[in-house]
Amino acid sequence: MLSDKQFAELKTHTEECQICRAELDRCAQIQDIIKQAFSSQTSAKQASRTILSQIAPRRIKPASTPSFRRQTAIAASVLLAIGLLLGFGLAKVTALRRIAALAATKTPIRVTDLEGTVLVRHQGSDIWQILQANSNIHVGDTFHSAAKSNFTLEMKGKSTLEVDQNSMLVLELSNGETQFHLEHGKLAAALNSPHAPFFISTPHGRVEALGTEFTVKVE
Amino acid sequence: MPGKCNLTNASDEQLVTATIQGDTSAFGIIVERYWNMAVAIALSKIDNLVEAEDVAQESFIKAYSQLHALRDPSRFAGWLSKIAAQQGVDLLRRHARNRTISSCEVGELEALAPASISNANPGLTNEQTNFVRQTVSKLPEKFQKVIIMRFVAGLSAVQIAKKLGKRHGTVRVWLHRAYQILRKDLAPLFEEVRQS
Repeated sequence: MLSDKQFAELKTHTEECQICRAELDRCAQIQDIIKQAFSSQTSAKQASRTILSQIAPRRIKPASTPSFRRQTAIAASVLLAIGLLLGFGLAKVTALRRIAALAATKTPIRVTDLEGTVLVRHQGSDIWQILQANSNIHVGDTFHSAAKSNFTLEMKGKSTLEVDQNSMLVLELSNGETQFHLEHGKLAAALNSPHAPFFISTPHGRVEALGTEFTVKVE
Repeated sequence: MPGKCNLTNASDEQLVTATIQGDTSAFGIIVERYWNMAVAIALSKIDNLVEAEDVAQESFIKAYSQLHALRDPSRFAGWLSKIAAQQGVDLLRRHARNRTISSCEVGELEALAPASISNANPGLTNEQTNFVRQTVSKLPEKFQKVIIMRFVAGLSAVQIAKKLGKRHGTVRVWLHRAYQILRKDLAPLFEEVRQS
């Protein structure tokens, strides 16, 4: 908004400057035609009387209590928030427990060689993950080698277990004695003597390693 | 609360408070103050003046019944302009639905449209009035609002800023940009007026 001084200055200037005078006139013209184009046929006083006669029987809605629907919506939102918090909290706790359990079942057996795609599923989990070379495996791990894939596990004393393609192997025990379960497929063991008790179970029977090299095949 | 003799000079805030406390005459002053603005806002959405006045009337009634929902009474004008614009859009939607239902009437309605433009002022012809309204309605929504508040309701940039809850500088920029667009788009009309 212009101050009185600014307004006086503008007035003096527009009296002298034709360009600014023309611009001011154009502005007034625009204001005038917009006012004309948007003017009402009904006078403001008349409109006021009409509207007041219509609102007389009405009441302003009270602002105090929210509607039942709104209350329900708020309650639902609160419950949802609590549910989400609990859900996230439980998920986090479960994940932490799983990590802790996984750490407890870690063995010194390592994946030394890996070709193609080999999947691993930890005990208690439904998720299959890609087996990484140079990682340690855990008790309860299930391994699945895809076609044209194989992997080698290295145990204490440089003993190795080579698992062939299309095989499924589970590490059942690793507490002084070691036991794998070969569900299907083929593996070749090379054990350096002396070695701790070592077993391979299959759906058809259990094999105990007495010598140093042997192959087990389940079709 | 101001006395009745002072109501005319009372601020929007005082009038809204008085209305909530049961003084309907205070709302009468509000209607007088913003009637032209509400009609103009409705006219920026609807071509028909009679319908625009109906929309403005409905907007005031709606504003009255929901006055408690207005958090800042000093922003009544901005709030009312939103209600009027929404009511205008709702009416257009109803028209569109009716046209879809009875498509055979579409041609007739469209043919009638230019003739149905009511013009309250003898200064502009119906065509010129229509041209000005169309030009304004082509402006972005925020520009339409400030131009109407400035030119029709006669509010200053400072007052508009307060009522819309915007910064003074923002409103000045909007007014300036809206003015530049109008100056360019309304040029053919000025030429026509000058020649006649």
